[in-house]
Amino acid sequence: MPTNAPMSGEACAYTEYDEGESPEDYPKTGRDAEGVEAEVWAALREVEDPEMPVSIVDLGLIYGVDVDSETGTAAIRMTLTYSGCPARDMLVNDVTCAAETVPAVTDAEVRLQYSPEWNVNMVTEQGREALREFGLSV
Amino acid sequence: MTDESSDTDGETAGSEADTTPAAATLDREELRDSQRAALEELLFRLADDEFVHAERATEWQIYAPTLESDLALANIAQDEFGHARLWYDLLQELGYTEAECIWERPAAEWTHSTLVELPFPEGGWGNAVVRGYLYDTAEQIRLEALVDTSYAPLADRVGKALSEEEYHREHAGNWLERLAGEPESHDRLQTAVDELFPHALSLFTPGEHEAEIVANGFRRATLDELRTEWLDTVVPRLESLGFDVPAVEGVSLDTEGDNRVPLDTEGDDGVGDDDEVSDDDGITDTETVPRPDVRGRDGTHTDVWAELYEEFTHTYHEIQPEEPATLTSEEV
Repeated sequence: MPTNAPMSGEACAYTEYDEGESPEDYPKTGRDAEGVEAEVWAALREVEDPEMPVSIVDLGLIYGVDVDSETGTAAIRMTLTYSGCPARDMLVNDVTCAAETVPAVTDAEVRLQYSPEWNVNMVTEQGREALREFGLSV
Repeated sequence: MTDESSDTDGETAGSEADTTPAAATLDREELRDSQRAALEELLFRLADDEFVHAERATEWQIYAPTLESDLALANIAQDEFGHARLWYDLLQELGYTEAECIWERPAAEWTHSTLVELPFPEGGWGNAVVRGYLYDTAEQIRLEALVDTSYAPLADRVGKALSEEEYHREHAGNWLERLAGEPESHDRLQTAVDELFPHALSLFTPGEHEAEIVANGFRRATLDELRTEWLDTVVPRLESLGFDVPAVEGVSLDTEGDNRVPLDTEGDDGVGDDDEVSDDDGITDTETVPRPDVRGRDGTHTDVWAELYEEFTHTYHEIQPEEPATLTSEEV
């Protein structure tokens, strides 16, 4: 139920929204991807965080997409904002299914990766806008 | 079993040894059988500690003294479950299922420290605070010795867990100071220190693969070294807050020089020694308390473990995935 209380900061109870620097080369957004890999990135962009209406690509959760052009297998590396995330299985499933919507992809495999550690500075500018609209100050 | 040196005293400390693999250079496919056994021992201990600690922490969620603490304990438990999952995941990559790691694993194969399985006495908030402090301090020291682990999949995860642990120590440390200042709560904390400290030592009890764990660079320090660092941290802090740290049989708090006692010498069963342990709360500085005869690390546990295990595996067995669920009312 909406209230007039200001929302300052934490939507996800234990995600840190105010610390850290974005490691070099992160976030990965697939901007330079080509061909089938670009299609996979586009498909992943449709997956939203379960708690906030923001694409997981804009949140900076996807660390890499590699498609084996011979077998059609997509290998996706992704992270979670914190290790106790109860939506892990759901997110992994959503990502797998999204990648498999790409016609040239026969099979998608997600591997979780925790280095570099995710922090809020890995959210893209577009992601920040979406979070602000949602009511978070980032 | 390893077919190599069966030195179990962990004295092969030389982490600088030329043959020790460098950080993050070993992956799953490259493990020899003996390495794999050592790695599994390390991972099960990490995971079991976190899982059982979390199980107990959840018991506080409706009893903590402030709403803020309710949330804090809930969050800490969630983190610890998350960390248990980080380590059980790595075991699953080595071929185990989640059921084999947790729900169907016999109680006698769990290798967590007895510290984390102990129940809380009624109204034992001080116990939760002391336990959190002793455990989370050990956790930090242990994880720091894993930052440069040779096992690449583990190296990927340690930093995440370490940074999430910071707040746990802060929470326990703040409460420790807050309660230490008032006479009544000080006494309750002292009781908790007396009860928990001897069990906390089992955090550092080596297993059969300890030498192999260090020789392969899975962990960059021996458990003996970790224990020394832990003692050098928690003993002065507790004493500065006015607590007596109990003298435990066979364990010297003197971590330097010739007086230090190597940890967990084989067969120190503690039976037949002449220590008079007072039956009440009258432990004095000159007495030693016996070392608990169960260590957890070898699968031996306190009497309460069976009940806790039964509780947290109960629902799994009730809804056996392969069998149709039965409503309670349908049971005869």
